[in-house]
Amino acid sequence: MSCSPTPERLIQLNERFRIFCEMAEDLSGLQDYPPRPTFSAKDNLCAMGFQARAGSRILEGYRPPFDATPVWRMRQEGMLLLGKTNMDEFGFGTFSTNSGYDVPRNPFDAGRACGGSSGGAAAATSLLEGHVALGVSTGGSISCPASFCGVLGLTPTYGRVSRYGLIDYGNSLDKVGLMTRDSGSLRTWLPVISGPDPKDPTSCVQPMLDLSPRKVERVAVPLEAMQNLGSGVESSFASALKSLQDDHDILVEEVSMPSLKFALSAYYVLATSEASTNLARYCGMRFGVRNSNISQHFNDFFSETRSANFGTEAKRRILLGTYARMVGFRDRYYMKALAVRQLVISEYKRVLNDHDLVLTPTMPFIAPRFADIEKMRPLEAYQADFLTVPPNLAGLPHLSLPCGYIEGMPVGMQAVAPHWEERALLDIAERWTSKFQMRFPEVAR
Amino acid sequence: MDIETVRKVARVARLRLTPSEELQFAQDLEEVLQYFSLLDEAPQVDTHDFNPVRVADVLRDDEPSRDVNAERLRESMDTYDDLVRGPRLS
Repeated sequence: MSCSPTPERLIQLNERFRIFCEMAEDLSGLQDYPPRPTFSAKDNLCAMGFQARAGSRILEGYRPPFDATPVWRMRQEGMLLLGKTNMDEFGFGTFSTNSGYDVPRNPFDAGRACGGSSGGAAAATSLLEGHVALGVSTGGSISCPASFCGVLGLTPTYGRVSRYGLIDYGNSLDKVGLMTRDSGSLRTWLPVISGPDPKDPTSCVQPMLDLSPRKVERVAVPLEAMQNLGSGVESSFASALKSLQDDHDILVEEVSMPSLKFALSAYYVLATSEASTNLARYCGMRFGVRNSNISQHFNDFFSETRSANFGTEAKRRILLGTYARMVGFRDRYYMKALAVRQLVISEYKRVLNDHDLVLTPTMPFIAPRFADIEKMRPLEAYQADFLTVPPNLAGLPHLSLPCGYIEGMPVGMQAVAPHWEERALLDIAERWTSKFQMRFPEVAR
Repeated sequence: MDIETVRKVARVARLRLTPSEELQFAQDLEEVLQYFSLLDEAPQVDTHDFNPVRVADVLRDDEPSRDVNAERLRESMDTYDDLVRGPRLS
C-alpha cells in the first residue's frame, strides 16, 4: 500500500508545492525497511519535535511539549510524521493564501490554490502515495482542499476525535479529520484517531464508532445547494448523480432545505465570535512571539504584539467576532446564530430521517488561480463556503470525494451523514471509488 | 461599519490599526454585516445550545496529577527566578 518517497524527492516536492510549514529534519525513517507509512499533521495540531504555529507569525517559535491526541495515536501505530502542513492562519481562509509561511500550490496546477484551510494537507495527500494527512475543519477546511486537490477528505462528527492539542479556532465547530487517496485508508485510520479522550470532555459523550456495514440506498440533493454553481461543476455533479443511480443502484431524490440559506451567516457569526475570544491569549507573553518591552502598560504591550503579528484576515475576523459579541448586538447576531444552528440541525434530521446521505457538490468552482483570488472581496471568499458550511455548523460527519475533472482540475462532491454515522460515508466512499477513475497529478507518478 | 465603530472594536480587541486598515476593515465589515442581516429573516426557535451535539461535563478523579511539566512551559516565557515577567497593570 505504501510507497514512501525518498528524502530527496520529498524535499524537491516541498520546494515546488510548499506543502509544509515545517518538515521533519530527520527523514531517514523514509528509508526504513519494511517502509513505514507516513502521515502529516496540519500546523494547528501540536506535535513534539515541531513548532506549532497554526500558520501564524504570532506563534513563531512555539514548541509544544506534548502531542495532540490524534497525532499521538497515529505515532503509536508506528506512523512516521513527515511534518506540519501549511494552512491559512488559524484556519481563516478558503484558499490557504492567508498563511504567514508561504502559500501551498495545487499539485494539478501550481498556478492555482490548494483550497483551505488544510491546503498543505491536501497537497501532501495528492502528491504522496499511501500518505495520510490529519486535517482540521471548522467550516469546510477538509472538504474544500480535498475537492480542489482531488483526494478524499473525511470530517467526522463533532466530538468524535479528541481536540486535545488542537489550537482552537471555534470550539463548538472544530473537528479533526483525515485526508487520503483511497477509502481503505479511511477505514483503517478513522478508528485510530477516534474515541473518548479524558483530556477533551466533548469527545467523552460519543457513542462507540460503529463501522459495520450500512448500505447507502437513498440520497437527498437539496435544491438550495444547486444555485450559483460553475457550469463545469454542475455538469460533473449531475453525471455523478446519474452514475450513482445507474451504476450503484442508489435512489437520488431532490429535496428542499430552506434553512440552508441562513447557515453561512450563522456560521461566520459563531466562528468569528469564538475565534475572537480564543485569540485573546496571543498577547506576547505566553505563546510564540515574546514582547520584551515590559515597561509598557499591559494594553499597549498586548496591542503591540497582536497588531504586528496577526495577518489581515485574522484581524478582520477578530474585529467581526468582537463586534458580534458586544453589548447591544449579542442577541441580534450571536444568540440568533445559535438558534439558526438548531434550525439547520433539525432540517438535516428531517431529511436524513428517510435518506442515508445528503449530497451536494463540495465547492461551487474548481481550484481558482491565485490571480483571481487576489481580486476577491472578503465576503465573496466567505460565500464560496456555502456548501461546506452547513454540515460543519451542524457538527455532522461529511466526506468530499472526487467526482469529475474540468480543465484537468478535480471536482468534488460532498456527502453528509447523520451524527455519529460515519459508516454511511465509508460505504459511499468504497462503492464510489471502486468504479470512479481517480486521477493524480503528473508530478506525483 | 463606520470608522468610529471599527476603532472602538479594535480597542476592545487590543488591535492597533493603521488609518488604511481602519478604512479597509470598515468597508469589508459593512459588506459582511449587511449580508448577516439575512439572519433577521430566520424563523425564531426556542431552543439553543452552545454545541452541535449534546456534551456533558466529564470530570477526572480528584487526584493530583501533572500533564505537562511546568518547567518546560516556562522555557518559552520571560521569567525571573521562578516568576513570569509581564507588563505593568497600571
